[in-house]
Amino acid sequence: MIQLSNVQKKFGQRVAVSDLALSVPRGEIFGLLGHNGAGKSTAIGMMLGQVWPTRGEVKVCGHDVTTHRARALEKVGAIFETPAFYDYLTGWRNLEILSHYTSPTPTQRIREVVDWVGLTGREHTRVKTYSHGMRARLALAQALLPNPELLILDEPGSGLDPEGIAEMRQTIARLHRELGLTILLSSHLLNEVEQLCTRIAILKQGRKVFEGQVSEVKAARSQVALKTPEFAAAAALLGARGLMAGAMDGRFIILNDGHSTADVTRVLVGAGIAVEGIWQHEQTLEDFYLSLVKAPPPIPKDH
Amino acid sequence: MFPAQLRNELWKLFGKKRTYIGFAAFLMTQTVMLLIFKFGRPQQDFARMLSSNGYVASEFISALTVAVVMLMPQIILLMPLYATLVGGDLVAKESEDGTLRMILSRPISRVRLLVVKWIAGIIFAAVLVLVLGVTALAFARILFPWKGMFFFAPGMAFSVLPAGDGLARFALAHLFLAVNASAMLSVAFMLSCFNMKPAAATILALSYLFLNVVMESIPFFDRYDNWFITHHFRCWLMVFQNPIPWSQVFQSEMILFGIGATVFVIGATAFQVRDIKS
Repeated sequence: MIQLSNVQKKFGQRVAVSDLALSVPRGEIFGLLGHNGAGKSTAIGMMLGQVWPTRGEVKVCGHDVTTHRARALEKVGAIFETPAFYDYLTGWRNLEILSHYTSPTPTQRIREVVDWVGLTGREHTRVKTYSHGMRARLALAQALLPNPELLILDEPGSGLDPEGIAEMRQTIARLHRELGLTILLSSHLLNEVEQLCTRIAILKQGRKVFEGQVSEVKAARSQVALKTPEFAAAAALLGARGLMAGAMDGRFIILNDGHSTADVTRVLVGAGIAVEGIWQHEQTLEDFYLSLVKAPPPIPKDH
Repeated sequence: MFPAQLRNELWKLFGKKRTYIGFAAFLMTQTVMLLIFKFGRPQQDFARMLSSNGYVASEFISALTVAVVMLMPQIILLMPLYATLVGGDLVAKESEDGTLRMILSRPISRVRLLVVKWIAGIIFAAVLVLVLGVTALAFARILFPWKGMFFFAPGMAFSVLPAGDGLARFALAHLFLAVNASAMLSVAFMLSCFNMKPAAATILALSYLFLNVVMESIPFFDRYDNWFITHHFRCWLMVFQNPIPWSQVFQSEMILFGIGATVFVIGATAFQVRDIKS
């Protein structure tokens, strides 16, 4: 549904996005992660034809956004971090106004969507009277009006309370399940991304440093938590015996292939090192994300 | 689609209170001016001027005469302010509020969006002028009789017109005033297409108009009159002259249309190439 090839965006001399290649297949919930200023919003802007790429190709629904923007965005809905509306008009009027930028929208369709997002009864009151949660629902409604196949969500949980975040998570899952939408989700909420997304990409300083399945992240470099009063000595011994590839934070060890926690326990107890606890530690998305963003920046390729 | 998009643009424009500042200011000014004319010195000065030219003053100090007298300062001082205020808002305010990003996540082309907005702006300008003219005449009619029209403007020969002819010219003048207001609005609209705040677009447009006024008033630039947009704004006054200098009026109108189209193209080009970011 989304294909970015060798995309670069410069604002003056500043490179916001560099050599970005990204592929979002149909039916995925795809997470786009990165620190503030990593280039997520710029990348989304390029997907929506709001930001012109300096170089490279951006395709949405099979059409080049730069040259065939109207066709590319026919079946796309988008929600931004702080959804902006005409506060002095009613929710219904806002939906009419925004939907007519795509195609004529029958009243029945607006009614259906208002009902789907749970705004029935409040659609004819002015938006300035809406709570944050209601504005988020209105934002979702305007995104759903054109009957989209692809939904682009740029920081949709920003400013929501925990209850609102949980509701948002359920709504996204429902959109995927009930309407079969492909969803691109840019977010700082790693827990939400981990629970919702099937695939992620991580941006750092405008470059992609990872793209893959969330399940890969969890499985990759599986760590073992080791609780012992003599961690340094234990790590040295395990390293010398070839059981361990590395140690982290005075708590975790990474085992070499073919070795188990039982082997570790046997070796340590045999050497007289007390083992108070040992268990497999599944890496969270947060662990993985932090390990990537804290790492030194990738070396740019020569062009 | 286009009529629906235009209707929506008008909903946005006429749905906010800010749009009505101009209308409210015009109504207040008209009331004040009407009272000054009725009870102050201007009426005596007019009567003296008519009498000294052999006319019966009481026959020409009428609703039509007073309506035009009330219009002049408003056209010079207030209309640029409110036309550029709305013109400067049309794109820049949407950009500032974040609604432009919402719109441009949809498959509408940027040029089409600007065409819709520009036409909505021109409709606003026409409505503003219409309301201005109708209320000026209606207010004047409350305190003055329906009789012939006496017209006098600095730098122009005065003219005296029967009531029917005066009314027709008054209506025609408003057609040209609508073109003036549209041209003012278009300049601000062009600036609002650039990446700037709405207030900046309004101030820059007003500065451009005032610069034209200042330069036009300097004798050195007399021979370059045609280069100043404000010179062509005066064509609405020409319709009260006898006979109407149609060639001059037509030339000024064409130049104003040309300026409107040119600034639209400049604004559209700037808008097309610009990145829309939050």
